[in-house]
Amino acid sequence: MSNECPLSPEVFTAKDYRSSLKPIWCPGCGDYGVVTAIYRALAAINRPPHEIAFISGIGCSSRIPGYTTAYGFNTVHGRALPIAQGIKMANPDLLVLVAGGDGDGFSIGGGHVAHAIRRNPSLTYIVMDNQIYGLTKGQLSPTSPRGLKTSSTQYGSMEDPVNPLLYVLAYGASFVAQGAPGDMDGLAKLIEQAIRFPGFSFVNIQSPCITYGDPETQLKTQKARIRKLEAEGHDPSNRLRAMELAQEYGTTLYTGVFYQNPNPPPTYESLIRARQQALQGADSPLEDLLEKSAENGGNGELVAG
Amino acid sequence: MVDDLIIGMAGSGGDGIVSAGESLINAAAKEGYYAILTKSFGSQIRGGESSCRLRLSTQPVLNPGGVLDVAVVLNWEDFLRFGCELPVGPETIVIYEDKTGVEPALIPLKGVRPAAVLKVPMEAMALKAAGVLLAKNNVVLGLLAGWFGLAHQSILGGIRKKFAKKGEAVLKGNEQAFAAGLDYAEHNPLGVDRRLGTPSPDSRRKILTDGNDMCAAAALFAGCKFFGGYPITPASEIMQYLSREIWKHGGSVLQAEDEIAGIAAAVGASFAGIKSMTATSGPGLSLKTEVLGLASVAELPLVCVDVQRGGPSTGMPTKREQADLFAAVFSAHGDTVRPVLAPISVEDSFGITVEAFNIAEQFQTPVIVLSDQEIAQRKETVHPVDPSAFKLVERLRPSSKELDPYVRFRFTESGISPISHPGMKGGNYLAAGIEHNELGAPTANGEMHARMNDKRLKKMAPLHQRRDLFIIEGDADAEIGLISWGSVAGVAIEAAKLARAEGIKVKLLIPKLLYPIAEDIFADFFKPLKKCLVVEQSHQGQLYRLIRMWAAVPPSYSVLAKSGSNPITPEEVLEKTREMARA
Repeated sequence: MSNECPLSPEVFTAKDYRSSLKPIWCPGCGDYGVVTAIYRALAAINRPPHEIAFISGIGCSSRIPGYTTAYGFNTVHGRALPIAQGIKMANPDLLVLVAGGDGDGFSIGGGHVAHAIRRNPSLTYIVMDNQIYGLTKGQLSPTSPRGLKTSSTQYGSMEDPVNPLLYVLAYGASFVAQGAPGDMDGLAKLIEQAIRFPGFSFVNIQSPCITYGDPETQLKTQKARIRKLEAEGHDPSNRLRAMELAQEYGTTLYTGVFYQNPNPPPTYESLIRARQQALQGADSPLEDLLEKSAENGGNGELVAG
Repeated sequence: MVDDLIIGMAGSGGDGIVSAGESLINAAAKEGYYAILTKSFGSQIRGGESSCRLRLSTQPVLNPGGVLDVAVVLNWEDFLRFGCELPVGPETIVIYEDKTGVEPALIPLKGVRPAAVLKVPMEAMALKAAGVLLAKNNVVLGLLAGWFGLAHQSILGGIRKKFAKKGEAVLKGNEQAFAAGLDYAEHNPLGVDRRLGTPSPDSRRKILTDGNDMCAAAALFAGCKFFGGYPITPASEIMQYLSREIWKHGGSVLQAEDEIAGIAAAVGASFAGIKSMTATSGPGLSLKTEVLGLASVAELPLVCVDVQRGGPSTGMPTKREQADLFAAVFSAHGDTVRPVLAPISVEDSFGITVEAFNIAEQFQTPVIVLSDQEIAQRKETVHPVDPSAFKLVERLRPSSKELDPYVRFRFTESGISPISHPGMKGGNYLAAGIEHNELGAPTANGEMHARMNDKRLKKMAPLHQRRDLFIIEGDADAEIGLISWGSVAGVAIEAAKLARAEGIKVKLLIPKLLYPIAEDIFADFFKPLKKCLVVEQSHQGQLYRLIRMWAAVPPSYSVLAKSGSNPITPEEVLEKTREMARA
């Protein structure tokens, strides 16, 4: 399991996780800070890059796997989570990271989040939340505030935003955190903690869009707005309090761990392994696949001998 | 004596007519007959009208047949609801329930005079023999066994097995019901001899199974270690089989939250280095399309089974149609070629599924298997699988020399580049739906895009020479040709056989590789032809049109195309063939 993070005899530094590809992001984009924090978190965990699978959807932020030396898969819009789960089920030993934007995760791919949480595979889902569609040039996103005027809502949005923190808490996620590149040390630490958590971990990152985002929420003012949950004395094992604090999404920029389940459910991959081991003894020769089927309740039946 | 017998039965849900059909096919298969059983139901989830059609033969059979030799009617309303699925003709022997109150001369079959019409008090016999109406279907079995010489002992054995746990009284009642049917048949002999001959001695064991189980078993045999899918009629049994078996072979199944997640997880598993599969029916195929395109561009092996049903949209989920061909071939944006295969029978579902995995692995591509509702859900006697008849193909892995630095999408002569997977040291790369260069880095360069398109298309070239994926038989110099595919192929094969028995020279082409179109194989087939008929279960004649896109067709090129759920019988294809021969 990835959370056990077996120590590698080699020692990796942050730059070992940085690829030679030059990011397409605009100068001043919050995502630069996010990828740097990911390099640092991975170095702290020290898994060799080839044992890491980094999966993303579509959007500015979804370019991120290519900027690492891990195995990357920049997939289609909204489907990073199910693809990542297939990878984790195929090879539970891999460290699986998933990343994307708020549109990828809570609009086109919103239906997948709940089910990843239900299964609880050990993977870390990082959402770079900028409340806008940047790649397609400034349309409304699922986390855009009500009333926001964008290129697709010329007279202002008529919808309430999704609250990603409450969303995942309500579905029972066992590790829920929020970070901001304005606090780089804190963000790197948070991502590391999320990766080490045995089960599904979610990190929402307030990563401002310098080109289409709200000028009031840019990086330079971010540091001053951050309120660290730890400093606020929040107990991360208190789920109801976490939900209360999460309601301030969009008004107060809390960073840190909102919720960490002290008794998390078993991970999906541990259950898969257990089932495979339990049934492996019942292995049947391949030529008996159809004959066996009848005894086991299937449709096949051996009728003449 | 006959060597082929087609029995159709209909009743309401509780009459046990389908269960009688299952008992019969089990018994017949035990005796060594070849057999096919298809079932048809009203749209209710439980209850409602139900019917089955059973074809028994001393020789291998590939379709459920046309006009019934025997029709068993428990009530006329239910029987008539199945209309053209249970056609009665002048050769048919009609056996119906006395309680319907209809006189033999007045049975509600317009414009047909069956060979014999027998009014039998089946309900009354069941009540007398077993005390319960439920035993009616065993009276039916007794009648059929008596009149048509079907496997008494095996049927009785089946009844004993089925009722063994229900207590002595129930078992005895059902045995007596069967005996009453036998007795009635003995005392009321048919005027004509329609007894089924003894099967050709065949020492090979037979298995009774359906196309969905066959497909799932083949996936395991091929080394599939992951299945991602979502329940959908008529494909769900593939997931159900694998959810029971795949763990024993070190694999896993994900019942995903939707069709898209099902195929997405399968693509993920393939990226992680294992063989994976998804299965669905029409509506699910529509949903999966974008991810199929991803697998094409990221060059990841994947098998996607589409068990076709009536469409478009929800259509007719429990009926056969072959109208997903265009969707399978064309439904991806961009310039993509995706191999499409189709089995022609339950037995063939095994080989075609294994072939699909082989092609997916060899060419690093998604492959679609177009099964259909009939193949997927009909029961058929098949020979046990001979594992030595199959060779399994694994994807080309990079050698140590090709790693670190590793060039994932290296341009090679074949278009196939060695593929690594997470966990393989030195094989790290970026897979993507975005266009990329040889290293996998994103690009929007027109020249690179053209070269990559060329690579992805040209690697499929060897498929155009796969003659083993076609059945080509008949008279080589014939001027008349028949083409068909999927479960309808069995109808065309029989029609061609009947035509040749009448002295008509005819050639037959059954493509199991539907796409890419193997131009040379079609050109060779068409060369001597003056006339050709394509037979298929789709309203607009999708295969007929698809072939014309790539091949020069004979001067007279026509199609027998029907919307789903409208039977296509060997008799009518034979008649069309005669017409071609006459004109």
